[in-house]
Amino acid sequence: MRAWLHSVRVLVWKDLLQEWRSRDILTSMLAFAVLSLFIFNYALELSPLNRAEIAPGIVWVVMVFAGTLGLNRSFTAEQDQGCFEGLIMAVPDLSAIYFAKLLTNLLMMVFLAVLVIPIYSVLYNQSLFNWAFFGVLALGAWGYSAAGTLIASMTVQTRMRDLLLPVLLFPLLLPVNMAVVKSCGVLLGSVAGQDINSWLNLLLVYDVIVTMLSIMVFEYVIKE
Amino acid sequence: MSLQARQISKAYGVQRVLDKLTLTVDAGEVVCLLGPNGAGKTTLIRTLSGLQKPDSGELYWAAQGESFDAPLLRRSIGLILHQPFLYEHLTAFENLRFYSLLYESGQSEAELRVLLGRVGLGNARPIPVRGYSRGMKQRLTIARALLCDPQVLLFDEPYTGLDQQGCGMLNQLVLEENSRGKLILLTTHELSFIRQIATRFDILHRGKIADSIPNAGISLDSLQEHYNSVVSAGAKRQKEQA
Repeated sequence: MRAWLHSVRVLVWKDLLQEWRSRDILTSMLAFAVLSLFIFNYALELSPLNRAEIAPGIVWVVMVFAGTLGLNRSFTAEQDQGCFEGLIMAVPDLSAIYFAKLLTNLLMMVFLAVLVIPIYSVLYNQSLFNWAFFGVLALGAWGYSAAGTLIASMTVQTRMRDLLLPVLLFPLLLPVNMAVVKSCGVLLGSVAGQDINSWLNLLLVYDVIVTMLSIMVFEYVIKE
Repeated sequence: MSLQARQISKAYGVQRVLDKLTLTVDAGEVVCLLGPNGAGKTTLIRTLSGLQKPDSGELYWAAQGESFDAPLLRRSIGLILHQPFLYEHLTAFENLRFYSLLYESGQSEAELRVLLGRVGLGNARPIPVRGYSRGMKQRLTIARALLCDPQVLLFDEPYTGLDQQGCGMLNQLVLEENSRGKLILLTTHELSFIRQIATRFDILHRGKIADSIPNAGISLDSLQEHYNSVVSAGAKRQKEQA
């Protein structure tokens, strides 16, 4: 376990240092997110009444689409110079590679949420500064990163990775999407008569199950 | 210690690349795999390294009595393939430190700088690797492969991109590692360089070891002639079978 945690820590440090130098992932994610928010702002005629209803959907859809760009890039850097093979030779337990990538992708998503929430609040004149709202987005980002990291590790080995990743990933994200949007809706008061706990339970169970399953199958995915 | 490949076969779709190949390499040997393009040299190196499994046959590390795919055995291999396994946005030192931390080899900064010096990068500017030339990247790749003091060195075309000085440096490093009893298997087309250090030449043709030549002071011309005759005889035989 100590060696596993050590590998995870070293891999996350490397990923963050790489990203700090290149800014490949964050730049593309942020640019996409900001542009999407602008487009939604102009495309949807929102009255003050229906803003609360639509806010969770807009914020989460923007995060999911922007996150897909990041997921693709996170494994391309490993594939380009054959670094994946270097990692396979060096890491004793290959599931550490998966968990490190999951953490890096999760950090990117959380960072994205930190920037998207104030931009949305300014553009749509509706405050989303709410710790519970941010917490639900973070839980959603965990489930998204858990499933997305596994699928990206498969699709990066194909020529059509840009197309395959969303096609394979989005159906798997249905429970996350529903739970995040409904929970956030309850928090903003736009969804009445629903119990937030059931949605949060669904989100937590999804996150834990997908993470555990991915850790178990990751070695077979990258070696076969 | 010895590495044994027993009757290993590997195919990609219908194309059989390794065909019941048997090979033994002992510690202290520098075995050079020669063969024309497409003979299966890279596939053999990848299979021996554990990166891919053979379709049939066995890989055996005699001293350990374990499958070659076990993680700890995999970490005892210094591997060079066509791609450098380097991170373009990190400097040479950061790349080495990253792999050193992953291997938990406990090397100090000074030791990593000594290793960079051994491959001729001691005075290289601390810039990201993407600014390096092909030869400099190859030197760093060699340093990366030697990082954790591996017992087995599997080098696929290690002279690629190196200048004359670099090839000499690589020969010197291989001789040093060989003198420490390491098991070394490499592939190359640079007969003039490898002739100076190899203890044996195995000629791989159509997925099999077609011939094995001990390097008892063999001249470059004789080696080239022998290689050509083995390859052309193999091609002729296959034509007749077809």
